[in-house]
Amino acid sequence: MLLLTKLFTQLGAEGFLLGVWETLYMTAISTAVAYCIGLPLGILLCITDKDGVKPIVWLNKIVGFLVNILRSIPFIILMVALIPVSRAIMGTSIGNRAMIFMLIVAAAPYIARMVESSVKEVDKGVVEAARSMGANTFEIVWKVLLPEAKPSLIVGAVISSVTVLGYSAMAGTIAAGGLGSIAVTQARPSNAQDVIWLCVALIVVIVQAIQELGMFLAKKTDKRVRGKNRKKTEKGEQS
Amino acid sequence: MIELIHLEKRYPSQDGEIVALEDIDLKIGDGAIFGIIGLSGAGKSTLVRCINLLERPTSGRVIIDGEDITNVSKKRLLQIRRSVGMIFQGFNLLEQRTVEANVRFPLEIARVPKEEAKARVRELLELVGLSEKARAYPAQLSGGQKQRVAIARALATKPKYLLCDEATSALDPNTTDSILALLKDVNRTLGVTMVIITHEMRVVDSICTDVAVIDNSRIVESGKVADVFSYPQSEIAKELIIPNLIRSVRSAGGKKLRLVFNGDVSDAPVISGLALDCGVAVNILYADTKNIDGRMFGHMVITLPQGEEDAARVKRYLAQKNVSFKEEL
Repeated sequence: MLLLTKLFTQLGAEGFLLGVWETLYMTAISTAVAYCIGLPLGILLCITDKDGVKPIVWLNKIVGFLVNILRSIPFIILMVALIPVSRAIMGTSIGNRAMIFMLIVAAAPYIARMVESSVKEVDKGVVEAARSMGANTFEIVWKVLLPEAKPSLIVGAVISSVTVLGYSAMAGTIAAGGLGSIAVTQARPSNAQDVIWLCVALIVVIVQAIQELGMFLAKKTDKRVRGKNRKKTEKGEQS
Repeated sequence: MIELIHLEKRYPSQDGEIVALEDIDLKIGDGAIFGIIGLSGAGKSTLVRCINLLERPTSGRVIIDGEDITNVSKKRLLQIRRSVGMIFQGFNLLEQRTVEANVRFPLEIARVPKEEAKARVRELLELVGLSEKARAYPAQLSGGQKQRVAIARALATKPKYLLCDEATSALDPNTTDSILALLKDVNRTLGVTMVIITHEMRVVDSICTDVAVIDNSRIVESGKVADVFSYPQSEIAKELIIPNLIRSVRSAGGKKLRLVFNGDVSDAPVISGLALDCGVAVNILYADTKNIDGRMFGHMVITLPQGEEDAARVKRYLAQKNVSFKEEL
């Protein structure tokens, strides 16, 4: 009864692997570049806040406004709107290159807000202590805010990359590749349910892997976890 | 020396201005352990933050070693802050750094060469008795240990002054004592001048040389601890310093006499002397005295006998015995 559709056999292991690879590749590059933009933006949003380390309210308002605008446009509409922009900047409005550009534009403001909320979690008292020692703004960011927020930043990066992965499923609309493209543009018209469900399964596996790895890293870097570290030092003291 | 001249701090708020500090004038001499005591909300924390300009006073001047720091360049201010250490009620350690990396932090800020910093960190951890915890993280330490790390960190750049903002308020009594002993030791051996913000009488009592009482944004009383504690003038100082005495005076009727022992009197039994020599029996309403090296310190409240003559006799006797006293109603 379980017969594989024509598309399934056509794609074969190679086709699906290519899909996985393209999805991972688009997600990784876009998240990485978007993080490089979002991290400084997030820090800026945090420190220029009126209760921040270096309050510059007008700058905070402007950046916050721009971030909010980009964040409120649904991705599929943003893509359409960005077609001419992509053509101008990336030289193309279709394919993986264009897709990566659009993902970056969508993810950077999202990441900026993630970073902002992580950095805001850092205890104000610790910042005050650093100021009392004569630390300047740069030192406070570099030596206090970022290291102290690290576990939370990692969690934020994981959530962001999963979001980007979700967006990347719309790649088919502009002829970019990946699992989403296979499911939406190839399998859907011919109603190849087996292909769709395999794509779903593969995406679930990828998301799980990113999630698990990220949480493991976050937990490992967090020195506030009491029990685990204590055990380690006790062992150290015995030896 | 730290001098605060006409310091004022006002915050804007929805319902007008909030005055946090008003007309503050203080001189904190080198080598002193200067206590600033007051109830919560009195303005203590704002006051101590004005000393290193973590809070900018609205007006007035902060002069440290002759330099008015309210109008120096940003760069100079950061430099000055390195000579004024600070510790906090919540310890404020970097949770993601080890103990030694926490102590190293201010040295990194001051760009002290690595080798020198390493030696200094070792020295400081030894000073606070936490050498074997060098590689532990703050989450693995007790409150008292965390405050020791904070003290080591605050002393890393060899500051001349140490500001302590409710540094023992989050600690249990025993730990408080050990931290106070450490602070006293630091003051004695390294000559660090201390400003101690607290709401606890016993903190001032056990280590401070000078004290200022702050209430409602103003300094209401200040001086040597022995003087202020023996003769508190303001209502708030009495509340803080001798709360039980005030209570017992209020609850009893009739005329009362407050006796103050400030070490001038030997521990000769004054009260039984009253009975035997004057033939007047008195009730003790309150007594909190201690005997240090054969000298009496503390307060006592007794009832005065009804008769004018008897009362006069009691006063004469006390004057003769060198006990200072004050009539309380």
